[in-house]
Amino acid sequence: MQIKPQLVRDLIALLGPKAVLSEPEDLMLYEYDGSVELGSPECVVFPSSAREVSEIVRLANRYEVPLLGRGAGTGLSGGAIARDGGIVVAFSRMNRILEIDAANLRAVVQPGVVNLDLSRAVDHLGLYFAPDPSSQKACTIGGNVSENSGGPHTLAYGVTTNHVTGLELVLPDGEIVRTGGKNLETSGYDLNGLFVGSEGTLALVTEITVRLTRKAEAVKTLLAVYDTIDDTTESVFEITVRAITPAACEMLDGFTLRAVEDYVHAGFPKDCAAVLLIEVEGLSEAVEAQAAAITEVCKLHRAREVRVARDDRERALLWKGRKEAFGALGRISPMYYVQDGVIPRTRLPETLRRIAEIAAKYDLQIGNIFHAGDGNLHPLILFDERDRAQFERVVAAGGEIMRHCVDVGGALTGEHGIGMEKNELMSLIFSPDDLALMARVRASFNPAGRLNPGKVLPLGKGCGEIRIPHIPASAATPA
Amino acid sequence: MSHPAHISFARLEEIVGAPHVLTSPEDLALRRVDGFLPSAVIQPADAAQIAEVLRFAGAEKLAVIPSGGCTKLGIGSPPARYDIALDLSRMNRVLAYDPQDLTLGVESGMRIEQLLRVLAEQKQFLPLVVPYLERATIGGIVASNSSSPLRHAYGGVRDFCLGMEFVTGEGSQAKSGGRVVKNVTGYDLHKLLIGSLGTLGVITRVNFRTFPLLPAQRTFVAAFSAAEPAFQFCGAISRSPLTPQMVEIADPGAAEVIFSGGGPPQAEPRKWSVLVSAAGLPEVVDRYARELGHMAAAANADELEPLGDSEGPVVLARIREFPRLILEAVPSAAIFRIGVLPTAMPGLLGELSSVATRGGVDLISLTRASGIVYAALLPKEGEAATVPLLSKAVQEVFRVCGKSEINASAMLEWCPPEVKLAAGGVWGPPRPDFGLMKRVKDSFDPNGVLCPGRFAGGI
Repeated sequence: MQIKPQLVRDLIALLGPKAVLSEPEDLMLYEYDGSVELGSPECVVFPSSAREVSEIVRLANRYEVPLLGRGAGTGLSGGAIARDGGIVVAFSRMNRILEIDAANLRAVVQPGVVNLDLSRAVDHLGLYFAPDPSSQKACTIGGNVSENSGGPHTLAYGVTTNHVTGLELVLPDGEIVRTGGKNLETSGYDLNGLFVGSEGTLALVTEITVRLTRKAEAVKTLLAVYDTIDDTTESVFEITVRAITPAACEMLDGFTLRAVEDYVHAGFPKDCAAVLLIEVEGLSEAVEAQAAAITEVCKLHRAREVRVARDDRERALLWKGRKEAFGALGRISPMYYVQDGVIPRTRLPETLRRIAEIAAKYDLQIGNIFHAGDGNLHPLILFDERDRAQFERVVAAGGEIMRHCVDVGGALTGEHGIGMEKNELMSLIFSPDDLALMARVRASFNPAGRLNPGKVLPLGKGCGEIRIPHIPASAATPA
Repeated sequence: MSHPAHISFARLEEIVGAPHVLTSPEDLALRRVDGFLPSAVIQPADAAQIAEVLRFAGAEKLAVIPSGGCTKLGIGSPPARYDIALDLSRMNRVLAYDPQDLTLGVESGMRIEQLLRVLAEQKQFLPLVVPYLERATIGGIVASNSSSPLRHAYGGVRDFCLGMEFVTGEGSQAKSGGRVVKNVTGYDLHKLLIGSLGTLGVITRVNFRTFPLLPAQRTFVAAFSAAEPAFQFCGAISRSPLTPQMVEIADPGAAEVIFSGGGPPQAEPRKWSVLVSAAGLPEVVDRYARELGHMAAAANADELEPLGDSEGPVVLARIREFPRLILEAVPSAAIFRIGVLPTAMPGLLGELSSVATRGGVDLISLTRASGIVYAALLPKEGEAATVPLLSKAVQEVFRVCGKSEINASAMLEWCPPEVKLAAGGVWGPPRPDFGLMKRVKDSFDPNGVLCPGRFAGGI
């Protein structure tokens, strides 16, 4: 699609020349996100208010041009990629924290506020914003809302949708409307529940009211080191069974660890099969007891060593290793393909064995670094895109892993979203009737399909296969 | 109100079997909604039968209201039409329970009390401590978004419901979410059904995450001479590192209701009471006892006492059954459920008290410190003209909730049908997002088969 020069002139008249980009060299920066997808917008605009967003939407409708919202572009399923061209509405100018209401544990923010900036702004009050995707230094709360982002600590505290009480939205017809508010509940349908995680396909979010969480009194971070993957996954299984609920329970396999250690120097042992990074939070009495119980479980399952971070610095270093792991792997492989399947936690040991079998069968290196405590896997398949034969094996292996997740009763994505990466796989989980209802709900808000086209629901092009990645791995940092 | 002549019972009997089409006056009366009686009660065995019933109803332009334990049929506006009661009680099985994964899938007609027993065998539970516990079903609890005092620690249904299966008004079997604890695959359509009062779809299966029972539990009661120090105490708890299971503020009337089942001596009449539950390891519970004691003293509580092993469960059950206890004592009561921020609670309760005084009615309130006030308006004893007085007071409550310094979201959850009509509705003044709700309704139930007229905005 070629947008008309008159539309660009209208946008400039509306927003001013500095808030509109339309030169190819400027647009290149907006062609990609943290996924392996690619798509060029024809214009990028930077609104400062909901009113301006509404006017942009009306112009897009008048010129019949697609449009979509974009935060920091850290998404991992192509949610912020202009699949059919058109206008990217970038929220980087709408980055103010509008209100902090500590007494009621609420904050009102614009969508461009960076996730970690909100936590920093309320740190002195002993509060934070609980969803903590690994990209939290860069990703925006508007993006978190669109994708219903998670993170390591969502095991105990829930994902974004559990922390949103109100939204201001611009609908695809330009109407500005509010759902929910600051109150814990408002009567009527739970529209927040529908819009959070709708991946920018139902409305553009222009303001968000979130819950703030009080920081725990005590935190303990443990590192359990194992000589076999089976012992590691059996430990996670038993922690779940014993109903110990850590705040986070992350697993990194030996291959990943070695790459991380070379990059971050966090003190991870380089000769082990896997580690668990486990955090417990709460009252000091409870934390002591939970840490002791976890240590006992890990030792029972032959952990070589269970180390407790001695201070905040050590703790921060362990988490740096976890959160920058994907960047570390990007240094040793030309490309990688990361998945986000979820399985029932009881199926973890067999699933990790299955992934190892698949890696052997296709002669591929697959790293595993993921949220073990909630069964959210991130198998990461390394490859070199110049090797076409290997490339096809990556696609086949990825498909087998995804099918295994579905077969054991799991889900396609735990936190990265469907986007344009997995939309053709939706029929593995959902029936035609399920998908028809989702399509109808989307059409009721987005009838012309002009808002973020080609995402979430299948287009019916080549069903059931993983899409082939196009671009080299960036230093993207999945949650 | 009913159109028996229009209904082809033969077709319904074909779908669910003749023994499962009920038409006796008692069966119909049990499913009465605001004075409206259905023409038949249909008891489907599965989602496929529900789909057929709904398609039949759509073709015949019949209105269908789903029901389970029939404990909450009075919630919502009076129906515009009502022909078929869809009784889910045959669909009462646990379909999947993986205690080791702490996940569960259950049919919607299962009673919560029975489900809690199944979970207790594995030392687990669902934080759905809701009124009418022995009769309420999963479907009804979810569809009315029943409030549990454990919301303080565990959140509401939306926070631990993993997915659902349901049948839309058009008779299409659909699902969303899944049964794993973390999932962003597709739109979260099931969240729309929570609190939808059956207006979008008939819920057939609900998947939950379950929670481990905690080793020790104790409930503490602090008594105060007025509302203000009671809320100061709650504020102090909220600013502390403590994370109680429950924090409830009972005004003197509510305290009387709660403690009349054999309460502790300190619960004197005319006192405000704050009830706080702590659970966890014994040493954790001990710490609550110490710190709550300090905080209560700082807020000038008369005293802070733990409930004994025998009285604790009784008092908790009476908190759980609060709306029911009020309604059993005063069937004409009007009970609001009001979402409000903690800092606005004292102001709201003050306003409600003025409304009651001016309107010549009594007020009893029970407040969940996390942000929900249950406020019951009761006609004074011996008052003859209850409907006009209550209706006027109901309108006043909606008005004060709209004040900018209160900014509360009120819904009149329980009241006599005559008050619903005279007060001009139970949903309060129109909100800007009603238009969006209409779009949702039209996506799920375009022909208005399910519970027409019962929901906000005339949906």
